[in-house]
Amino acid sequence: MGSERVLLPKWASEPCIMGIDEAGRGPVLGPMVYGCLYCARSYQKTLSSLNFADSKTLREEKREELFENLKADESIGWDVDIIDPRELSAKMLKKNKINLNEISHESAIGLITKVLNMGVLLTEVYLDTVGDTEKYRIKLSERFPAVKFVVAKKADSLYPVVSGASIVAKVTRDRALREWVLDETAEDIDRNFGSGYPGDPETKTWLKHHKHSVFGFPTLVRFSWGTCTPYFKELAEVLWESDMDDDSNCGKQQLKLSNVGVTTSKRKSEETESSGKGRCKFFQARKLEQLTNF
Amino acid sequence: MEDDGTHGTSIKLKSENGVVADLSGQVHLLPCSIKFDGPSSVSDYFKPKSTGMEVEGLRLEEAHFRGRKLQGTTLSLPEGYSGFVLGKKGLGKRKAPSISEGNSNCWEMNAKFKNITYWKHDSLPSQHDTFVRSFHWLAVAKAMHQPVGAEDLLSASIALEKMK
Repeated sequence: MGSERVLLPKWASEPCIMGIDEAGRGPVLGPMVYGCLYCARSYQKTLSSLNFADSKTLREEKREELFENLKADESIGWDVDIIDPRELSAKMLKKNKINLNEISHESAIGLITKVLNMGVLLTEVYLDTVGDTEKYRIKLSERFPAVKFVVAKKADSLYPVVSGASIVAKVTRDRALREWVLDETAEDIDRNFGSGYPGDPETKTWLKHHKHSVFGFPTLVRFSWGTCTPYFKELAEVLWESDMDDDSNCGKQQLKLSNVGVTTSKRKSEETESSGKGRCKFFQARKLEQLTNF
Repeated sequence: MEDDGTHGTSIKLKSENGVVADLSGQVHLLPCSIKFDGPSSVSDYFKPKSTGMEVEGLRLEEAHFRGRKLQGTTLSLPEGYSGFVLGKKGLGKRKAPSISEGNSNCWEMNAKFKNITYWKHDSLPSQHDTFVRSFHWLAVAKAMHQPVGAEDLLSASIALEKMK
């Protein structure tokens, strides 16, 4: 909602409840979206009458309709956090890997922080569980001591405020994927990627047709997903310096290489980078080697 | 360097028709080894973006490769130096290389560049990086190979006097 000034509605200074839910956690491509919906506690009864249900049980048109309704409802506030697939891949492939649960927790915490900072008097927040239920609840309670947290399995079908959040998230994710602007400019890339779920035949076909021997996939794809692993075996191999730094990792890599039988002696020598070994300190520190043959 | 018959290796730095492709801004040094040799649609897939940020005086760029986030910076080659892309002479031409050509170590320039973008995974580029520091040699080499004049000797002896 950018830089435009949001006028805080009057009800925001009453005790408020908020639901948080996610869409697009499972898919191998596209963004993951966290959505929240909040309203005054006194509005809870009306909310129950708005026929929000777990977004997965609704048809797409119904979800779109409900989303438009809740957007127009002045007694309801909402927000989303769209996590780019590039960010998901990058975080999960860092040397100090951040797993999907942590990314999810941070996203939820980000939404709560944002709404609190707007001046909304949040007293209760309802969420679906991510990872261990009780650990998640404690983590949130420690972060926001003034808020009561209810973390529950299937919260999206138990609490209308979470069902509403799930509609916000799901509709946003579907729209984001539909309108996704691909980073890549190669001509042979099409947009028939389907739902993005690993089991979707359309998604499978798209992955098969869009793998690239050097670059892997377009950045819409979550490279860190297990679904991608079989495809990587067919690509040009990439060895990372950051994986090599670790001695134990290095050994593993070598083992892997010889397993697939590509470690010929020639390849091995290519892998040795210049070290400046045997030269004076100045050159060693800069890994400068004298080269007479190449 | 012109063709030098006395050694096995020669590098020809003049292109045949006088036109040399300039790859400035397109030469990337990645923190990984890609087991692939050949042309690839790099500009369609590899999309560096300027972040508008600076670290240690280096302008920070961002790109993604194989799902990993890379952070890099573009270094200009020092005045008086050029980067060259070399290829084995005779290869890639219409005529299949004869056995003698295949074995010979004759290289020719295919393109040149005035800067290079080097990338890091999991850390920011820094003045302490080996790659940045390797350029120090050029300044050191210049100082070492400069003819010593009377003034240099004078200032050196003054400096020596002071140390006593």
